[in-house]
Amino acid sequence: MDMKRDYYEDIELFQSNTVFFWTVVLMACLFTLPLYVESYNIYLVNIILVHVIMAVGLNILVGYTGQISLGHAGFFAIGAYGTALISMHLHMPFVVSLIASGLIAAFFGFILGLPALRLEGPYLAIATLGFGLTIMHVIGRWEVFGGRMGITVPPLDMGVPGTPLSFVIEGDVKIYYLILVITILMVICARNLMKTRLGRAFVAIRDDDVAAEVMGVNLTVYKTLSFAVSAFYAGIAGGLYGYVVSFFDPFTFNLILSIIFLVMVVVGGLGSILGSVLGASLITYLQFDLLKNVEELPYLGDLLVLVSRKWLTVIGLANFSSIALGVIMICIVIFEPLGMFGIWIRIKKYWKTWPF
Amino acid sequence: MRRTVLGMFVFAVACAILASWPAHAARPGFDAKEIRIAQWGPQTGPAAPWGAVARGSALLFNMVNDSGGIHGRKIKYFIRDDQYNPAQTKAVVKELVEREGIFAFVGGVGAACGMAVKDYLAQNKVIWVSPSTAIDEYVFPVNPYLFAVYPLYDDEASILTKYIVEKLGAKKIAFFYQNDAYGKSGLDGCKTRMDALKMKLVEEIPVEPGEKDLSSQMLRLKNSGAEVVIMWVNPTTAAIALKTSQTIGFKPQWVSSNTLSDYPLMNKITGGLWEGVITGAFGVPPTADHPLMNKYREAAKKYAPEERFGTFYLAGVLFAEPLVEALKRTGPNLSTDACLKQLNSIRNFQGIGPVINWSPTVHQGTDSIQIQKCGPDSSYILLQDWTSNDLARWKKK
Repeated sequence: MDMKRDYYEDIELFQSNTVFFWTVVLMACLFTLPLYVESYNIYLVNIILVHVIMAVGLNILVGYTGQISLGHAGFFAIGAYGTALISMHLHMPFVVSLIASGLIAAFFGFILGLPALRLEGPYLAIATLGFGLTIMHVIGRWEVFGGRMGITVPPLDMGVPGTPLSFVIEGDVKIYYLILVITILMVICARNLMKTRLGRAFVAIRDDDVAAEVMGVNLTVYKTLSFAVSAFYAGIAGGLYGYVVSFFDPFTFNLILSIIFLVMVVVGGLGSILGSVLGASLITYLQFDLLKNVEELPYLGDLLVLVSRKWLTVIGLANFSSIALGVIMICIVIFEPLGMFGIWIRIKKYWKTWPF
Repeated sequence: MRRTVLGMFVFAVACAILASWPAHAARPGFDAKEIRIAQWGPQTGPAAPWGAVARGSALLFNMVNDSGGIHGRKIKYFIRDDQYNPAQTKAVVKELVEREGIFAFVGGVGAACGMAVKDYLAQNKVIWVSPSTAIDEYVFPVNPYLFAVYPLYDDEASILTKYIVEKLGAKKIAFFYQNDAYGKSGLDGCKTRMDALKMKLVEEIPVEPGEKDLSSQMLRLKNSGAEVVIMWVNPTTAAIALKTSQTIGFKPQWVSSNTLSDYPLMNKITGGLWEGVITGAFGVPPTADHPLMNKYREAAKKYAPEERFGTFYLAGVLFAEPLVEALKRTGPNLSTDACLKQLNSIRNFQGIGPVINWSPTVHQGTDSIQIQKCGPDSSYILLQDWTSNDLARWKKK
């Protein structure tokens, strides 16, 4: 691509004026989104943003450090429950409870990182899987956490709840702006972090951990750190998720959720921040919105209903959502192993010399 | 520095716009030609068998539409798949309410799914009739837009316990329950009844949902010498319990709640062990010779021949019945308030479910269940017709 003359050019946030321009346009679009998007879709966008934070965090672990995790729904749960319970019982402002529960999640990430020092590949997958399931069951068993019935999340309060300083934020649109700002900060942080010594150490571990150790990367520190950072992201995402959905029970954070998170990262592109953002957006959209209104389409809707009646189960068009989601995932993994990030790179290359 | 100031300025302006943002209004749920009614339910995913509830309601609405609709308006019915995930429930409900405009929701599987949208529906003045779960939070305190039909689990356990003691003459009763709100409210109902009868349970054993090995629990039940075991668990746990007790030679009379009253399904997953089990039921059996049931059975052959005419499917019909009744009573001048008024004045209404009574202060419609027994070939044997709970705690006040 572009010629880099010194190191600082490589770590710059905006590598050219073009990038700067389009970033500003994107930001302007994002900040004015509620003006031209129906409010029920803002809810969906909120979920997407939460998943973006989650996927970026998971990609730090899976894509950059090369460690697998099937237990990220556990950290997500810790964040969600932590934020809700801290603001409910300790009457802390939103920001404090969010960061605190992010740190709690990070602590658990550190703990889970310890066995990761000795485990690799499928063995690590099993260990993290166990962690995710354990969290789900432990939370369900303790009445403090609302038991299996789940808990209703208290109102999102920027000030101190229950005092005159209370400043409650309500409604999808307002929560959207809050989450948007946090997401942008988290994504920029992740991007910058990956350009530092820390990020390079992670990549070195991914490419060859023995070689990394020989070069002076302390495996113990960096592997556990990678888990902790990733868990911190998951915790923050979980805390925000709680306010978006306003009610959750332990079963919400099940194994399928962990797998969906992993799918986001793989489909988006391993080892790419942009990829995580794209992957999270696409998968969330497909899962939540795809084909929900297809029945009303002219001709196609009737045709699909007919096909479903004739050959598939009685549940109707829900059949097609699942099939379409699966097919899209398989196609992306087969035809574009780099994920959506790979597609993006190819588009960029193609347009570079256009129209020749 | 200048960039920071500029950035903060933009941010402040954005915040100011935001603070004055108008709240989004829901679209009206009906017009001159149609009334829009919706339901969410898991059509795919782990809880997919319960999706039949949402499709069952469609049967009744199809019948109503083919007989000319309600005062000239047809019912337009939406089913949305939420995969039993509260985040998705909220997404589909918001979309339906704000994009299509929904007059009322009916049914709705999943405790967490319902809890996630309960307040949203009330804020937008959308009527919600017959959630398919019994939860105290739905009806206590009264939510002006929510009307429940499903009998509370403690009422059901209380009625079943009375039957066991008085009709079966059992002396030694044990209780085996899932360690959550569902199981515990069953246990509460049973204990209240036992106290009233001055008796004690010989054993009460909790089980965690998802536990796969129940041999220690079954041994304890066997050693307690219980003649009757009441179980308040989910289908999988019930199946494991029956199989385990079969292997250790423990054969009590099993009694269970209406959540396990789909006998063909239970026989399938227990390998035929369900025969002889007594359960509560909130609807007359699918095979009953009941005028309404015969009508529905005929209609199902016409509208949904590929559906299994089972308990969950019929539950969908049952949940929709009182709403259709209220809409009919409301007359041509439809509005949410007018319909609420009619719902609040429903007295002694009965379809294929229990007698329903609603008033402005009580939205828990019933405390009655039937008691049924699984006979040979998954047949339904009616042991006791509709019975209400004389000890119901919510009626005492």
